This record gives sequence, structure tokens and C-alpha cells, in this order.
Amino acid sequence: MIHNILLVARREFRQVVALKSFWLTLVLIPFALALGPLIGESLDDHDPSRVVVIDRAGGSASAALEARFALDHDMQVLADLSRYVQRYGLEKADPAAPWALHDRLYTPADVLAFRRSGGLDAALAKIGRVKAEDTPAFDPPPADYTFTPPSPALAQAEGPALQTQVDTLLKADKKAAARADLVVLIGPNYPRDPTVRLWANERPKADFVTPLQDTLTTDIRQRLLTGSGLSPQAALTIQSAAPAIAVTTPPPGGGAKEAMLVRSIVPMALAYILMMGLMLSGSWMLQGSVEERSKKLLESILACITPEELMYGKLLGALAIGLSMLTVWLGAGAVAAFASHGAIADLIRPALAPITEPGAIVALVFFFITGYLAISILFVAIGAMADTMSDAQGYLMPVMLGILLPVTFLLQAIIAGNSGPMVHVLTWVPIWTPFAVLARLGTGIPTFEMVGAGAVLAAFIAIEVIFLGRLFRASLLAQGQKPGLKQMLDRLRAAPE
Amino acid sequence: MSVLKVESLTKRFADVLAVDDLSFAVEPGEIFGFLGGNGAGKTTTLRMALDIIRPTSGRIEVLGNGPDRRNTAAIGFLPEERGLYGNMSAIEAIVYFGRLKQMSAADARAHGMELLARFDLADRAKAKISEMSKGMAQKVQLATALVNRPKLLILDEPFSGLDPVNQQLLEDEIVSAAKGGASVIFSTHVMQHAERLCDRLLLLRKGRKRFEGTLDEARAQLPARIDAIAPAMIETVDGVADARLIADLRDGWGEYSLALSPGVTAGDVLERCTAARLPLRRFEERRANLHDVFVHLVGSEESAR
Repeated sequence: MIHNILLVARREFRQVVALKSFWLTLVLIPFALALGPLIGESLDDHDPSRVVVIDRAGGSASAALEARFALDHDMQVLADLSRYVQRYGLEKADPAAPWALHDRLYTPADVLAFRRSGGLDAALAKIGRVKAEDTPAFDPPPADYTFTPPSPALAQAEGPALQTQVDTLLKADKKAAARADLVVLIGPNYPRDPTVRLWANERPKADFVTPLQDTLTTDIRQRLLTGSGLSPQAALTIQSAAPAIAVTTPPPGGGAKEAMLVRSIVPMALAYILMMGLMLSGSWMLQGSVEERSKKLLESILACITPEELMYGKLLGALAIGLSMLTVWLGAGAVAAFASHGAIADLIRPALAPITEPGAIVALVFFFITGYLAISILFVAIGAMADTMSDAQGYLMPVMLGILLPVTFLLQAIIAGNSGPMVHVLTWVPIWTPFAVLARLGTGIPTFEMVGAGAVLAAFIAIEVIFLGRLFRASLLAQGQKPGLKQMLDRLRAAPE
Repeated sequence: MSVLKVESLTKRFADVLAVDDLSFAVEPGEIFGFLGGNGAGKTTTLRMALDIIRPTSGRIEVLGNGPDRRNTAAIGFLPEERGLYGNMSAIEAIVYFGRLKQMSAADARAHGMELLARFDLADRAKAKISEMSKGMAQKVQLATALVNRPKLLILDEPFSGLDPVNQQLLEDEIVSAAKGGASVIFSTHVMQHAERLCDRLLLLRKGRKRFEGTLDEARAQLPARIDAIAPAMIETVDGVADARLIADLRDGWGEYSLALSPGVTAGDVLERCTAARLPLRRFEERRANLHDVFVHLVGSEESAR
């Protein structure tokens, strides 16, 4: 029996492997997955937004604005550098430096200390002395905004001329030297008249408007405080009074949500691969089954082997296809990770954490294989009933929609960190169990739930083998008869002949 | 020991009685014809012998075993509806079926190549089935049935769809297999093939056996007729049950078709004509052919081609 099953499985496997669509899929999916982030990266606009400030009130407000945005950028550089130092354990480069201290939200005082000690260049020089050769270089975040002084004509323009010149700047080509994304006008009567005009070539972002408002508010208050008799220093002290917030953060990749996402990568990838593999191999399997029926092959085969051997062989062949795709795709991921030596490898390490225990490995393998079998057997039964691909598609579409739509929602819910009652319900419904359990492995699923759902799934497969096996056997030689629901139920009920 | 033995076999599909209390046996080295019109139950019986479907009642014995896959290695089967995997080469298809029949890959390949050479397809061994003509593909399918050197060769309507050259090739293979000791059972409703090939025949009508025996025994099912040119007196010769005048040849002569009484031979009538000094210009015995027997036993509604 095993001999015949293996022969059929091998033939099914070779038939699919001979298809161009198999190789295209095998290569294109990792390629597309790799290309996705690159395309996303290329779509991101890294060019800083250009800001022109027309300050007709003396220039101090304009200077304050530039200083504020420079401070924000340096604070971002400092925060990123701190995480980089923490990730690679480089604190010994200068243990007292602000970027070696990770227990705080950085303040302007920290930025000033950072600048006084030479800024980023000095910090990188120190780090370079202790950094291992294979540690990737620090990639500083780009500035979001750059400030350009207004042209003399713009600085003087009023009324319609001002509007025309601003429009010209905002509509100018991206590569033009004289262009702007944002234009701010501070009037000559500022701060007595606190109206500040802002033009933008698109809806201005909060990360510009908030600091703008914040800075000008501080400036107005500073002037009011000094105007009411306070010394500039006293006014500044009042303005800069702020609580010191001590923060404890986990190392990169160790935060609760971040950790959950990273730990879910492999199980979630398996759930997606299971879903994609089933969609693809289901279609290939149907093509093979329809060929057997349309080319009248079945009688010759059934004279040599039993319908059960044929069915198990087909299932095994489909499983082999699924496991091959899994191996190639995960292999491609692993090669990409280890070839990069960098961020991906760092990500992969914690991502592999949930599958380092033998129990977790057994669970992954069990649910992947049983998931494949539970769904593939439906395709095998459909293949036995359909004489043409259009017949097969007619049966396949509702089955696929019934399985995959809830799975799509389920995976999205788990990625979003939701674990509502529907996630638990779907875990216990056998056709969705493999997807739910695989997807939940990273976030944690109670052992009783996993074992129980696994047992229900195994029992479901046994029932499928009995009933769909009857349907398969009864449908094999019923050429040219498109069964209705009643006939299908009769075939399901029929005792083996 | 019979190679195939069927006893009281019945198969019912819902309300349709496809095979009704059928019994027969096929002996080693015998070519056995399975004759009947469409829907007579030929294919159903062969499928039961191959365990593709199970009987409602009755008993089947194949090579001393029940009809199960233990016999696969000793059976060759060519179904009525034929086809092979289009993406396989000719030799791959033969090896695949050989392996399903428990042969080693090497043996299946070696004998497969022998068969392809015999069928004049050696140079197309690696050609895909989808790239072959229908005739070539049919020869490859025949090779898949013969690859395991079967002791029992079951052929369901093997001549349908074959051109005359391939029909002759198949007839040669059937004779060659029988000479090699294999039993061949084939269903057909082409009487000429059955007359040329069969040692014994079985005629089926609506699932029931109407006749089983040799070709001579089949012919004996219908009385022989004599074509004669003689005077009208021949009607009175003892043993002539019926004399039908076909043509009046004038001057007292006529062309007659004579039916004989049961148990009377053409020789008896000739002897009596001589004793009665009855002149004869023609006296020719015409025995019933298989077509006549088929029409007589199976019915005109299932008349043979």
C-alpha cells in the first residue's frame, strides 16, 4: 500500500514541479516579499520639507523657530544613537555620555551636553574605537525640515504680489532651487498682532504645526514676561521649567508589543505560507485530477491501485508540494537574514525564540501538516467530482472563500494584538484551527487550548478521510455526471463498495 | 485451475440490474470473447473482476484469489476509454504503470523499451504523450497493459477507435499473449474480431448470459441452411423442413433455400436426393455466422455492427 501511495505522490509532485507556474510562484513570492520593503522605501519621501520664514518683526522669531527644529532633530539623533548603542552594547565607548544613558527621555539639556561634547561626529569617533568590525554603522535620521531665507523680493512683497510669489515657490518643481513646501509670515506688528500666516503645498503635518505654535507661544510669553518687568533670565527659567521624567524601556525588540510582533514573525509567516500554499497547490491538484478524469485515466489506475491509495497519494503529493514551498521560502528568508548580518538577523534572532523549544517545533510541524491535509482533502474530493476546470472552480470558489475570508480577518486581528472571543472560537473550528494556532503561537496560546484544538483537528481529519473518501470513491468513475447536493450527500453516506 | 472464475455474479445500480446471475470461467491460454450490445453488462463485469467496483452478490476468483490488488502484478488491463498523462513521456508512462503493477523500475523500463520497439515507437520513447498522435498514444497504452507480462489480459472494447493497421497489431498481440500462456478476455461487439480470435465466447444480453461455448457451438445454435438449384421435388425430400423458392429458373428448375429438420445434416439430405435420383445443379451448405447467432440470441435491437 505504502509503495503505491508513494508512487502516486511522486507522480503528483513531479507533475506540479513540471509546471512553469510552480517555479514562477516559488521564485516570485520571496522576490516580491523582498521587493516590497524596497519599493516602500523608494516611495518614502526622504527629502526634508523646505521652510521659508518671512520675519518682518526683526528676525528673532525666525531664529527661535530654526533653533527649535534643530533641537528636535538633534534630540531624535540622540535618541536613535542611544538605541543603537544599547542594541550593540557600546556604552563603554563613553559611559557618561548622554547617548550611553538609556533611562530617560532626552531633554534640551541633554542635547546641549551632546552638542558641547562634539555632537554626532565626536560620538561616532568614540563608538568607532570600541565597535566590532561586523557591527553595522549608525545611520542617523534625516532632518524633516530645512530652513531657507526668503528672497529680498519676497521679504518685501505685499498683497497680491506676496501671494503670487508664495504660490510660485509652493508650486515650483521639486528640483528647483527656489521652492518651498511651507511659507510662514510673521507680520511687522508681531507680537502685538500675534497673527502668523502659514502657506503650505499640502496639508501641513502636526510635527511642523505643533513646534511652530509651541515656539511662537514661548516667544510671545517671553516677551510678555520681560515686558512685565521680569529679567530675561528669570523669564527663561519660568518658560523652561518642566518635570524630569525617568523612563525605563526594554532593549530594542524587547518591548511588549514590539516583542509580540517579533515573536509572531515565524508562526505568522507559517500561517501565511500555509494559506498561500493551499491556494496554489489546491489549484494545481485540481488541474491534475481534472486531467485524470478528462483523459479517462482513472480506470487504468484503479485497476492497479485502490481508490484509497490514489487519494492518500494525492494528499501526500500535495503535502510534499506545500513543504517544498515552505522550505524554499523559509530558506530564502534565512539566507537573506544571515547574508544581511544586520537588522534582519537581529530581528530573526528574537523571532526564532518561540520555536526554539521542542514543544513549539512539534506544534508548528503538527499544525502545518494537519492544516495542509485537512484542506487538501477537500480539494481531492472536489477533483474527483469535476470533469472540467470550470466545474472544479465552481466547487472551489465557495470552499476557498469560506476558509480564507475568516482566516484573513483572524490573522489581521492577531497582528493587531486582539484576542477577542472570535479568535478563540476560530481556534476550535477545525478548518481554521491550523491558521489560528500558528498565528497565535508567537503571542502565546494556552497549552490546553492548543492540545484540545489539535485533537479536534485530528478527529476532523479522520472523519474527512472516512466521508470524503466515500465521496472520492463514489465519484471517481461517475464520468459526465455533475452531482447535485442530494447525490453528493448520497455519496457521502454510501458505504464503501 | 481457471484463471478467472465467476459464479452467480449480480450487480445492481439503484434500480438497474446491470449483471444478473452470471457464471463463467476462463482457462489458461484461452482467448475468451465477451460479447454483447451496449449496456449488456460487459464493462461492469470486467470492472468487478478488476475490483474497481464490487458485486452486489456472487463470487469472483482471479488467479485463485479474490478480486483484489494482490493480482495486480499478473493482470494487464486496457480500458475502453483510454488516456495517459499528457506531460509524461511514453517510456515514463509505461514505467509508471509497470511500477504500479509491482515491477522494478529497471525491469519495467527494459520491457517497456522492448514493447515500444515492437510497436515501432522506439524512437519516440522520450516523446511526451501530448505530442503524439492518437494512434501512437494507443500503442503506448497497450504497452502499459502488457509491460508486466500478464497472466490474465483483460481488454475492454480493445478495437474501438483503432485504425486497421493497429487493429492487426492488437490481434497479433492477443494471439502472441495467448501463445505465451496468458489468458485473454476481451469484450467487443465487432463479430469479425471475435470469430477470428476467440477460443470460446460468452454472449450477454441485459446482464444475463445467453450463450457460452466455442464458435462452432455458437453456430450450431442456428440450423444450417442449404442453397440448392433443383427441381421442385426437393421440397418433398425427407429431412427438409422448409424450402423457400428464391428464383424460378424455368424448365422446372428453381433456386431454393432449404431449412433442415432438427438432427438432420446436409449430408443426410444429399444422400436422400441421390437415392431418389433427384438431379442437382447446386447443393451448398451455409452455416450460421456469429453475426446471425448474435442477432438471434441477443436480439435485433442490439444487432452487431
